[in-house]
Formats: sequence, structure tokens, C-alpha cells
Amino acid sequence: MHIAEGFLPPAHAIAWGVASAPFVVHGVRSLTREVKEHPESTLLLGASGAFTFVLSALKIPSVTGSCSHPTGTGLGAILFRPPIMTVLGTITLLFQALLLAHGGLTTLGANVFSMAIIGPWAGYAVYKLLKRYEVPLMVAVFFGAFVADLSTYCVTSVQLALAFPDPSSGFLGALGKFGGIFAVTQIPLAVSEGLLTVLVMRLLVQSSKGELTRLGVLLQSKGTRPGTRTEKSEATEDAGAPGKPAKSEASRTSETGAST
Amino acid sequence: MLPIDAAAHSSRWRRRHPVDKAVLGLGLTVLAISLPPWPGAALVLVAALVLLLGPAGVGARQLWRAYRVPLGFCVTGALTLLVQIGGPDGFVTLADGGPARAGGLLLRTSAASLGVLLLAFTTPMSDLLPRLVKAGVPAPVVDVALVTYRMSFLLLDSMSRIRQAQAARLGHTTRAAAWRSLAGLGATAFVRAFDRAGRLQAGLAGRGYDGTLRVLVPDVRVSRGFVAASATLLTGLVALTLVLERFLP
Repeated sequence: MHIAEGFLPPAHAIAWGVASAPFVVHGVRSLTREVKEHPESTLLLGASGAFTFVLSALKIPSVTGSCSHPTGTGLGAILFRPPIMTVLGTITLLFQALLLAHGGLTTLGANVFSMAIIGPWAGYAVYKLLKRYEVPLMVAVFFGAFVADLSTYCVTSVQLALAFPDPSSGFLGALGKFGGIFAVTQIPLAVSEGLLTVLVMRLLVQSSKGELTRLGVLLQSKGTRPGTRTEKSEATEDAGAPGKPAKSEASRTSETGAST
Repeated sequence: MLPIDAAAHSSRWRRRHPVDKAVLGLGLTVLAISLPPWPGAALVLVAALVLLLGPAGVGARQLWRAYRVPLGFCVTGALTLLVQIGGPDGFVTLADGGPARAGGLLLRTSAASLGVLLLAFTTPMSDLLPRLVKAGVPAPVVDVALVTYRMSFLLLDSMSRIRQAQAARLGHTTRAAAWRSLAGLGATAFVRAFDRAGRLQAGLAGRGYDGTLRVLVPDVRVSRGFVAASATLLTGLVALTLVLERFLP
């Protein structure tokens, strides 16, 4: 859920913008470097942004019977890594503010902080941690997406509680209020998003093994050319697993660019 | 195409420079969150509404469809201000001054949302994005945003057609089928996005693509008159707020 336009007082809106700025600048520098080195990456990064935008527009059935939209930050972070996801998430949030009236421009900093920074980084950290302990890929994907979704809403609750402390119990009381409202809807939604992400990833492993290998989500099978489809893959380890040098953002995306 | 962007392309102010509309729309938004909700945000709300439905020529139905989205969030958020947790009278009780705070918040968010909608309903993204380079946004980021923008519509269109096909094959009849269909939709979006990017890249490479996406931007100038009128309106709203604050409760 996005914080709507004008919902935060000016000081809070500015503060969250300042807090988000270093992460966005870091992401922009990564993206700029990548595009300068490999101009063809522009199209793939644009495609990734469009995928993120469309993913966030899907309606997922909630356990409570209602429908809502996935944040898409977990899947995006696993596929494209958090720094790039920060930039793509910022672009997506800008489009949502201007094309769908979801979120806002004065609250862009706060929404970027929760959805394009904390969500992707938290989800990716859990995903990587589980992969480090050799947990099956789909379990890691589920918990990555679950945590990315839930952490996004936890941060949103904190942002709202800081802006509107309870008259009697202050920040903690307000956190209980906002967190309580979100918990009723968002825990089932986080489970739903985790399940959806697993289902999407399962289909991607079957249909787009080449792309996932190039993005570093899957390891390349021995004796298999990138892009070729295989029935079974032993390549379900993350490219950045311990003992193996993690590829840079640039090289991951450039491989994708060079091969499509 | 999404409804707001479609309306922006056929807007009366389509040929105005985005800076003209940004000064007015974003100026109203800044005033909405900076001035006291009563009467400041209320005045901004009225001014934005008059501008949207009057000179900008936005349809009332179109505006309501876009406006009800942020309004739903605002109402939900404002409801929490009506109660307080803890205190001598019980665990959850009505907050002192809660209705006033909730009302003020509703006024502020409503007015601020209308300010941004004024910009969104009159300025297509394709006019706005290329000009962000002049505002200091790195060109590669703008290029990525442009590709994202153009590809989003194609993907949304594909998703819509796939959803129809899934429904025609009874793909939404049971909960399990709905989940399968949804997962298929998400995966297809990924495959199509990357496939399209690959084909775009091949096509552009054949045309001597050097990494720069050149797009035609309508040659319009910033209107000093429009900007001055906007500044006058914004200043007038501030002055009126300060005057009314003394007389209104």
C-alpha cells in the first residue's frame, strides 16, 4: 500500500526523501555505469521496469477473500538485485503516482524507502541467507517474497506512526494502530505474494532457464549452452553463493543484454 | 493506454510546456501540505477542482475514477486518528480532537492529490520524461524510464488479452485455477518483456543504435503569462488563507 499524496507532513516527506537519496543515487550510478559500458542494457532494464510495473498491477486473491496488488519487490530483487531494483522501483512508483494516482510525489521518498529500498533489500537478504544454508530454491523464493512484502508494510506502519503519534501512547500506540490495521490484511497478502512468486518462479525455471541463468538466479549447467532448454537442471544455486565470486550488477545485466 | 495518460494526450493543455503545468499543479500540492488544512487546504482543493473541471477540461467521471483511489487510502488512514490507545478511560477510546485531526488530514491529502492530478491529467508522460534530462536526471535513467513507459502499455495489453483467454478456458472458476492462471500471467509478462527487449535491440542495432534513444519532443515554450498567472493564483491562495485564518473558527 502506498502512502497517498499529501499524507505526510512536509518535514517527514523531506526527511524520507533525504533518507532514500543515497540508495537511489547508488542505484542510479550502477545503472548509468552499466548503460555506458553496455548500451544495449537500456532495453533490458526498461523491460525489467515494465515487468515490475505490470507485476504490481496484477490482482492477487487474498486469504481474507478480497483482492490486492503484489508489491513485486521480492521477485524483482531476486531477479535484478536490490540496487537496480531501487531505481526500477523508483521509476515504477513515479509512474504509479502519475498514471494510476497510487502514492504521490510528495510521498515518493517515503514510498521509495519502504518499497524500493527496505522491501527489496530485506527480501533479498533472507533469500540469500536461506540459499547460503542450501535451502531449496523455491522455499528461499517464498520467504524472500514474503519478507519483502511484509517488511514494506512494517516500514510503512513506522512511517505513519512517526507522522501521526497517538495522543495518549505516542509512537508505540500509533504503531500498534497502523500495524494492527495492516496486519489483518497484509500478513495474508504477504503469504499470497510469496505463493504467487513461487508459482511464477517455477514457471520461469521451466520456460526461461536461459534468462534466469544470465541474470544469475540459476547456475549454468555443465555442458549446457546458455539459453538452451533442459529438462532438469542441477543449476538451482544462486550465482552469488559462498565460495563463488558474486557477479557485479553490470556483468549480470550485460550478459543478459549480450545474449538476447 | 491507462485512463489518466489517455486523458492527458487529449487534454486542452496538451500543447502547453510541462513547466507551465508543473508550476501550477505542484505549486497547489506544495501549498496543500504547507498551509493549515483549514482554511488553506480547503481553498487549494476548491481551486484545483475548478481548474481541473474548468480550464483543463477534465471530465468529472474521469476525475472521480482517478481520485477515489487515493481517497480510499486517506479515509482508512484518517480513521485511525479518531481513536487513541491507552489512557485512563480504557484501552481504546475516542481521541480528543480526533475528528478535527482526521478532517484536516482528509482536506490536506485531497487537495494535494488534486494538485498532482492536475499535472497528470494534462501532461502525458511522453512529454515529461525526455525533459527530465534538463532537470538533472541522468540520461541513461531517463532512457530506461522511457522504455519502461512504452513497454508497460504493450505488456498491460498482452496481460489483458491473456486474462481474457484464461477466463474463456475456465481459468478463473476455482481458487486453484485462479492461482495457476495468475502465475502463468506473471511468468508470461517476464518472458514477453525480455523477448520484446531482445527484438527491440536487434531492430535498433540494425538501425545503428549507439545507446541513445532519440525521441521527438513537441517544440513548445514556457509561457511567461501562464507561469505568472499561476504564481499569482498561488500567492492569492496564501494571502486569502492568512486573512481567513483570523476570521474563521
